[in-house]
Amino acid sequence: MSPPRIIHGRGLFGDKVRGPALVAKEPVSFLGDVDITTGEIIGELPSVKGKRMGGMVLVFPGSMGSAGAWRFIYQQFIHNTHPLALIAKELPDPSVVQGAIMAGIPVICEPNEDVLNSIENGDILTIDGKAGTITVGNG
Amino acid sequence: MNLSPRDEEMLEGRHGEPLRKAMEGLVTLGRAYNAEDMVDIGYAHIHAGMAMYKDDVELMEELADAGAKVVVPSSANIANADLVNWRQTGAPESLARLQNRAAGAHHKMGSAAAFTCTPYWAGHWPTWNMHMVSIESTVTIFCNSVLGARSNRDGFFAVYASMTGRYPRFGYHLDAQRQGTHLVRVECMPESVSDFSALGFHVGRSVGGGVAVFEGFARRPTMDEMDALGAALGTSGGISMFIVPGVTPPYANAEEAFPNGLPNDAIIANEAGIRTTYEHFTEGDGSFDLVHVGCPHASFEEMKDYAQLLDGKRVKDGIDLWVTTSRSVRNMAREAGYVAIMEKAGAKVISDTCPMSCHFACTASPDPKLGVKPPVLRGIVLDSAKQAKYVHDMVRCPVLLTSTEKAIESAVTGSFVPRFSAS
Repeated sequence: MSPPRIIHGRGLFGDKVRGPALVAKEPVSFLGDVDITTGEIIGELPSVKGKRMGGMVLVFPGSMGSAGAWRFIYQQFIHNTHPLALIAKELPDPSVVQGAIMAGIPVICEPNEDVLNSIENGDILTIDGKAGTITVGNG
Repeated sequence: MNLSPRDEEMLEGRHGEPLRKAMEGLVTLGRAYNAEDMVDIGYAHIHAGMAMYKDDVELMEELADAGAKVVVPSSANIANADLVNWRQTGAPESLARLQNRAAGAHHKMGSAAAFTCTPYWAGHWPTWNMHMVSIESTVTIFCNSVLGARSNRDGFFAVYASMTGRYPRFGYHLDAQRQGTHLVRVECMPESVSDFSALGFHVGRSVGGGVAVFEGFARRPTMDEMDALGAALGTSGGISMFIVPGVTPPYANAEEAFPNGLPNDAIIANEAGIRTTYEHFTEGDGSFDLVHVGCPHASFEEMKDYAQLLDGKRVKDGIDLWVTTSRSVRNMAREAGYVAIMEKAGAKVISDTCPMSCHFACTASPDPKLGVKPPVLRGIVLDSAKQAKYVHDMVRCPVLLTSTEKAIESAVTGSFVPRFSAS
């Protein structure tokens, strides 16, 4: 087993969490791309369509679309289908960040490597939303 | 991040739990965006509390019950049911009752409620350089681009800002963000509000989260046209602001909108682009049950236009025609006699909501106890690219986009009349 590897980014907020990665290659519009009650990705995101984000660490390029995103993220939290943490290459929209704060979802952005290709679906990640660290593997 | 002594007091909980939670959220947001400090806001367009989303009206009720008050003029965004006329829309009474609880919470907090996506037509009119917050992108864009106020595209934290009177200084609160990123050369004059909507949707696709600067309109666009343009730009792109030099304060010309020099390339806005949007939103087999005008919520001027188009006409049996607006504008239009003309023609004048925001949405998450069942619709004819996009995504029935005039003609004849005749 390879030793754990640490990726550094900007930790926006949130506690330490640990869970499997779900890597979306396309920008995510939380209003429209995600079914609230199941957490299933229903938008035209070929890399992750049909997958569920509940309990996963969502790794994605950034956000797009409606400023109603916060409501969908918070509704996912109400229905317990929300992601465990968000890792975004680019700082997401204020609405996404507000939804994540309300739902207690840690967010890390601007990681120091190309996480969309270096992290694979199912990799176990340990996230520290304050320190901004992503530990891949048995950290 | 530099906080004022009062910000610190709120953060420490010395002004009660609601303000502590609000300030904590705003400080966290500000740190995420590297804000240097907080600004005083002068206006807040805040969350309605939405009955189509589980435990969402309760978000506002909990704040109101805990004693939270708004400290700046505040209006509420569009809701999920007409608070008065809900029977006309076919909404279940349970939904309307829950939505009315949100009005109670707003009034308890001192908010003017309003329940509209165009609070400016209802008298909420922030002015040049005023810092503000808005939960509705259409409002953000209108206030930045037409009024010269300063707003981001916010989420629920607009409520926190309305309670504290404060907001972190980042994004469109900074001069650096209020500059052109894309030049748009307008090579045709849009002929109607719906053409402005179609143009905005087309241009928004190329602008993303930037600031589009429009050059070449043959005349100054009307306020309704600016409203339609902005709403559509914000739908296909992530735009918060556009600039029409000579109209958008304080930019007198394109050079001022691009302080680092005009870009070499321009996006061309012509009739082909307008046609592309209408074609994009022509779906299904042409059949429809509903015709909708009033997105964003109609202004008094637009109500006048609709009344003129409907005067002496009759909506075809089996077709519904919805005119959506704010309750304030509905009242003004009623007093002017326009509502009577529209209702005599068989139109339904609905306030507080719209097709995509009401119980038609399949992608919402109402409490199952409410017994909400979205109707199955054959199609909706509409005159707004924003409504078209979200009806497609959220109501999930075919949409047929055309001009306002031809949408109303469709309602009267019962057959879809496209904006451009087939060539």
